[in-house]
Order: sequence, then C-alpha cells, then structure tokens
Amino acid sequence: MTVLSTGDAAALLYREALFLDRLDFDSWLSLYTPDCLFWMPAWRDDGTQTEDPERELSLIYYRGRRNLEDRVKRIRSGFSVASRVMPRVSHMIGNVLGETADDGRVNLASVFTVNVQDVRTNRAHVYFGRYEHELVVDEGTWKISRKVIRLMNDVVPTMLDVYGI
Amino acid sequence: MKPFVLRDLVDDRPREGVFRVSRTLFRDPNLFSLEMKHIFEGGWVFVGLTSQAERPHDYFTGFIGRVPIIVSRNGTGELRCLVNVCSHKGVRLVQRLSGNARLHVCPYHGWTFDSAGANRNIKWQKGGCYAAAFDEEDHDLASVARFGEYRGFLFASLNPDVPSLEDHLGETRKLLDLIADKSPEGLELVPGRVCFTYAANWKMQLENCSDQYHFTSTHPSYIRILEQRAQEQTHEVVQSSIGAADFWQETASGVTGGTMSFDHGHVLNWGIMPVSSANADFERAEQLAQAFGQEKRNWMFNMRNLTIFPNLQIAENASSQLRVIRPLAPDLTEMQTWCIAPKGESDRARAFRIRQYEDFFNPTGMATPDDTVCYEEAQLGMAEQERPWLQGHARGMTASVEGGNAYADMIDLKPARSVVANAQLCDESLFASYYRAWAERMAEVVA
Repeated sequence: MTVLSTGDAAALLYREALFLDRLDFDSWLSLYTPDCLFWMPAWRDDGTQTEDPERELSLIYYRGRRNLEDRVKRIRSGFSVASRVMPRVSHMIGNVLGETADDGRVNLASVFTVNVQDVRTNRAHVYFGRYEHELVVDEGTWKISRKVIRLMNDVVPTMLDVYGI
Repeated sequence: MKPFVLRDLVDDRPREGVFRVSRTLFRDPNLFSLEMKHIFEGGWVFVGLTSQAERPHDYFTGFIGRVPIIVSRNGTGELRCLVNVCSHKGVRLVQRLSGNARLHVCPYHGWTFDSAGANRNIKWQKGGCYAAAFDEEDHDLASVARFGEYRGFLFASLNPDVPSLEDHLGETRKLLDLIADKSPEGLELVPGRVCFTYAANWKMQLENCSDQYHFTSTHPSYIRILEQRAQEQTHEVVQSSIGAADFWQETASGVTGGTMSFDHGHVLNWGIMPVSSANADFERAEQLAQAFGQEKRNWMFNMRNLTIFPNLQIAENASSQLRVIRPLAPDLTEMQTWCIAPKGESDRARAFRIRQYEDFFNPTGMATPDDTVCYEEAQLGMAEQERPWLQGHARGMTASVEGGNAYADMIDLKPARSVVANAQLCDESLFASYYRAWAERMAEVVA
C-alpha cells in the first residue's frame, strides 16, 4: 500500500508554490498528471460558487495538463503584452488538512494567499482563497491529479494568470 | 457658459475626411462627472435581462451610473426598475446581488417596502409625532423614470426626457433578434458572473469591442495556441470558432465582413464565419434555417460585436458574451461579464460554449488580459497634453457609405452608415458614431 502522510503531502503543495514563485513553469507542470483537472470556479451570486462546470461558468476549467502547457506557452511566447513584464509573486499556503487518504490517493484542503507585485504598474495585489488538491501516484511519484482553486476576491484587477493563484 | 467646447474634444469634419478625438476625453475628471450625469444617468442604459428575475418577487440589483437600482418583479409578475435607496435616510435598501423577497426591510431604521417598491411600513409611525406635511410625502421607492424591455433585454433611464426605447434601439433591434431568436425559449445568462476592473477610461472598452484592427497584433499569443490546437485536434483542448474562420486573417481574400453604425451611438463590427460545428449553435443550424431562412441563419453564425451605447456589448465571436461597462473614475472601469446562451440548448452545446468562452473572454483567460493591459498603457499615453489628437479613428474613412449594403439587406437591416471590408481594412470610422452620440448626450455641457 502506497500512503502519503499529511506532512509529506503538504510538502508537495509547498513545492508547487515555490515553483510558481520562481516562475519555474517546467517544474510546476511536472507536478501534474497528464489527465489532471485544474479548476477555478466562478461565483454564481454573493455567496455560492458555480458547481457544475458543464452547465456553469468557471474562471478557469481545464481537464488535461495539455491546457496548462498552453498557458505556459502563451506566457513565454513573447507575444502577450500581459506577460511581457512578469509580476513577482509569493504564495503562502496554510491550514493543510488531510481529508481522505487511500492507497495511492490523498485529498487535501488548504488555504492560500498570493501576493502579486505587478511590476508593470507598480501595484500590489493579493489573491486569497482555498485549495483542494488530490494527489495520486503516477509512474511511481506523487502528482497532482486535481486542483480546485476557490478564489474569494474574484473582482480581478485587470488580469490574473496561473502563477497568481 | 458651458464648461467644454466640442471642437476642442472631437474634431468632426466629414467633408474634409477628418475625425479626431482628443485625449482629454479619456482623462479629464470634470468631464468624467459630467459623463456620469449626462450619459449614464441622462439617457437609456442597459440594466439586465428579464431572465435574471423570472418568478414573482425575484429581484436583482445594480447601478445606473452612480445610482443603485433594483429590478424587481412584483407578486403579479410585473417588472419594475426602482432606485435602490430607502426614502428615509438614503441607505441602500438591498445589498444582495439577486434573490427573492416579498418585502425589503431597510437595515438602518426598518422602513419596509414591497416588491413593487411601495412603502408598507414606517417603524413607529404613529408614535413619531410627524407633521401632516410628512404624511403628504411619497414614501415609496422612486421609480426609475423610464423602463422598457426588448426581447428580454431591459433598459432604463433616470432621465424622463428621452426618446422611446423603440426609437433608442432603432434598427439594432434586428441585431438583438439574431441573439434572441436562437431559441424559441429565449436567452439566459449562464450562471457565474465574472467581474474585473481595469485602470483606464470606459471608452477604451467601448472602442475595443468594435476594433477589428487590434486582433492580430494584440492576440498573437492566443492565435498561436489556436493554430496549434487546430493542428493537433486532441480531445483535451477545445475547438475554436474563431480558429475555424478566416475573416481576421491577413491572407483572407474578398469580403470578410465590415461595420455598421446606427443612430444613438450603437455600432456593429461583423465578420463572416462559416456555419460549422466549431460554433456551439451548430446543433440548431438546420432548425434556424427553416424558421428564419438561410440568410438570417447565416447571420446568426457570423462574428458580431454589437455595442448598444453606452454600456452594453454583446460579442458573438469566440463564444457568446454579454458585458456591461460601468465607469468608476476617469481611469478606472468595472466590467461585468456573462456567458449568454439560448435556453434549452443541449448539455453538449452548453459545455462547448462555456469552454470556448473561458479561454478567450475571462480576465483569467488567454485573450482579454492582453486587451485590458493595452487599455492601461493607452491611459498612460492619454496624459500627453502637447498633441491632443489621437490618430485612431481614421481607418475606413473613404470606405464608409451612407446606409446599408447587400449584407445588411439580407436581414433587412438599415444602418445609418456601413463599411464592407476585406481582412485588412479594419474600419475605425464607425467609432465616430460613439462620439456623435456622446456629443448629443453631452450637449447641455459641451457647446
């Protein structure tokens, strides 16, 4: 039986955060399974988020790492003015809680705060909310098979990309 | 003495082929407050869809200019647009975005209003030692002066002295029909409102929606992704309706689309798109052709970016979006955006529409951020005082003709002016329609 302690699982989340803080996108992508779900729901009204991504809008909804690779390609392309002067970011993850743990599968809940310095405009933004991660064993290593980002402050100042959440 | 002179702001000399807009229009704080009063609070603006309040006592809240409003359906099903402000101390009565309530109680002193806006209770009125003069006052919520519906689209005006809604919308009603007729049940907003701000003037968004010129230079990073996805055709990535069309491509030949402008500042930028499975409406292509004829059906599949001046934009291109522009300051604008969809479409079509939408339209997607960042960079440039005139309203000047054309005739559309374009024309002369309507609404303060 392949099990992962909450502490080791949390370390994987911190590593993901570190890769994003370093804008090391190749290492970041390598943490995901090829068929991963990457989902940031939108808000339906004041207090409830969209729940059914097939019938309701999400801020981001990707099934398949291939889509995250597209995001990285765009950021690196040199043809996106929104990605020309890269912001500086730092992720804080806390309250990591193991929710379920099975053979080769762990579910975690956590909270996040991402501080973003938008270098282009010299404005700082903070994004915060909750993460839900599912980690699985994929070819012998633990990877992220599902990440849900529940963004609380969803009135986006101009733009928000994958490194800011 | 009026505070502004029009010829300092808009240089409109059609006979000489000149149409120029001053940078002042994008940055002046005094002009901005006058715009709020005379444009957003002085005439028709879009407030929402009937489908946002379908059942008795349903409501949703919003703003007309700076004024909080509530659109509420009363017990007998009648919709009203009310000022969302308690008569007592001016407190905003309802704080929620939407909901269902027979009664609204003011959180401050408990005055109570029903879903038609009538005052139903003044707390301890009898013991209040009010003078008779108070009892003679109207305590109900103020009704917004004008309120009307066209095909589920709701518009209101705080100013009573405006043309009828029918006149205001004019020929663009036929363009709203193209959206509303997609389903016999009408249209709805897909749950999930996406809201963002950008640090630039509201007119940057107004223009960008109808600006074909920017697409290939602002969005090459997105276009490259579309090209790659189209080649690979894997099931993991979403097929793109824009990718399946060529109206925007440098190499496209012949007529690719054009522009139309209408009275009161409404404009359309359109492009030919094939009736193809890359469009979420494809499942109804045959049905729509039978119901409305081939030509109107084909128009329903064309790329259409419609602005109903001054605050509503409906973009039917990479998916279908409804956006509402809300200016907050000369250099700050809030955008409320929704995916708009025909009611009753299949699960497959709905999911496809949503996936196409998110990547393109969201501020967390791969296209809109490149637009809004450009707006902000433009706002920095608006500070320049020495050379007031922008050069961004001149393309298409010699192609613009009075009235419509063969494409407009297909749906019996009679624009005030139109341009038939090839891929590289990218008309900017249609923007004149915005600024002429702007000048009309500002006539009281701009001589």
